[in-house]
Amino acid sequence: MEEKTKRTVRAGIILAFVIVVIGLLIYSRIQAYSLAPTTPPIELRDYPLWAIPIVYLYDYFSHGTICLLFAFTVAGLIYEFVPKEVITKYMGSSKALGYGLALGMAPFLTVCSCTMVPLFGGVLYTGAGIGPAITFMLMAPASNILAILLTGEMISWELAGVRIAVSAVVALVAGIVISKTPWGKAVEKEHQINSSSSSSKIEIVKPPLDERLWAALKFGGYLAKQILPFFILGLIAVGYLEAFLPEEIIEDYLTGVGGVLLASVLGGPLYTPTLVEIVLGRGIWVKEGVILSKGALLSWLMGQPYDVANALAVSRITRWKVVLTYMLIAWAGSVTFGLLYGFLSGSL
Amino acid sequence: MKEVKVEVIGTEPPCMRCQASRKSVEKAAEKLRQSGIRVEIEKANIMSKEVVGKYGVLVSPAIAINNVVKIMGRIPNEDEMEKLLKEAAK
Repeated sequence: MEEKTKRTVRAGIILAFVIVVIGLLIYSRIQAYSLAPTTPPIELRDYPLWAIPIVYLYDYFSHGTICLLFAFTVAGLIYEFVPKEVITKYMGSSKALGYGLALGMAPFLTVCSCTMVPLFGGVLYTGAGIGPAITFMLMAPASNILAILLTGEMISWELAGVRIAVSAVVALVAGIVISKTPWGKAVEKEHQINSSSSSSKIEIVKPPLDERLWAALKFGGYLAKQILPFFILGLIAVGYLEAFLPEEIIEDYLTGVGGVLLASVLGGPLYTPTLVEIVLGRGIWVKEGVILSKGALLSWLMGQPYDVANALAVSRITRWKVVLTYMLIAWAGSVTFGLLYGFLSGSL
Repeated sequence: MKEVKVEVIGTEPPCMRCQASRKSVEKAAEKLRQSGIRVEIEKANIMSKEVVGKYGVLVSPAIAINNVVKIMGRIPNEDEMEKLLKEAAK
């Protein structure tokens, strides 16, 4: 009995913490103050070179801590409570369900890079085959919850929403197209195994609520430890960019049709961890709260799935032809939708 | 002496979370040895066709006890592991 009360109290404390974090975010929304840095570039330019990162980081963290705390807490919680067995149970059953699961589950399962490539392999080997595997692979980095939360908070929620929708379309198209190509089929054949339906071999144990909540927070902390160093480096780079990158250069080269093309090309091979891309994108295209070119920014953000590190990991399992095909489709998607969105929103 | 087989299923090379899971299993096994339960720990590669064929698509790190996956996508703590292993030895 005493054990039980202890657990309830512990769970209560953690839940209270979570509620406070969410409450702080809502409060910041109501007060309508910015969660992103606000120092105008002209002011930044007046500081000595060495001081710019300090001023910029201070500026960011004095607003942005709530946003980061919220993002990591929520990412940890979702990852812990999303029913992962669903993947094991249904992934192999049918093609259509495979695609659906790949799209639906990818955002929740891949906040940690170490789970993505194994899942790709697993999906490929089972009945679902190469189509859903590619869809999963492309959907995962483009729309993981951390990336979406930060895109929303740092850039705009409209762009975050568009990003999810568009990534899903591109991932689905790439998956279906590759599963129809001869080289895609060859890879599928080579790797397919007959898994003798295994639901009887899986009996997931669920620990008590307080332990799950604690594990969720710990996972959020782990993510923060992994990502924050890159994030801070990204912010420092952005500090300089904001101070010294003249607006004319962005307007000349990084907006309009040419801007979309350039952004889509830069976004991929230029290897940046997912979250840093968001900060960099903000540094380049958002000037004093106005997005210079929504289209180019979308193209830039969509560059993630075909970056080189991911491609290398996948090419170890599949062949280069498959990797090239999906990179090409992802790139074409990023250009098409960048232009389309820029055109439709009147901000190219 | 009772025997329990544990597979720690993770990536190769092991990711940080997989290593942490393995450590929990090892510590629990150490404790149980004193109470007369022998725990055999195996490392399995989540990407291998044997593992996928046997269990299906898993989320790493996963732990299977006596060929049944009990934990997936999270790191168990030592006490929990001990309890699960004890149950399996019964």
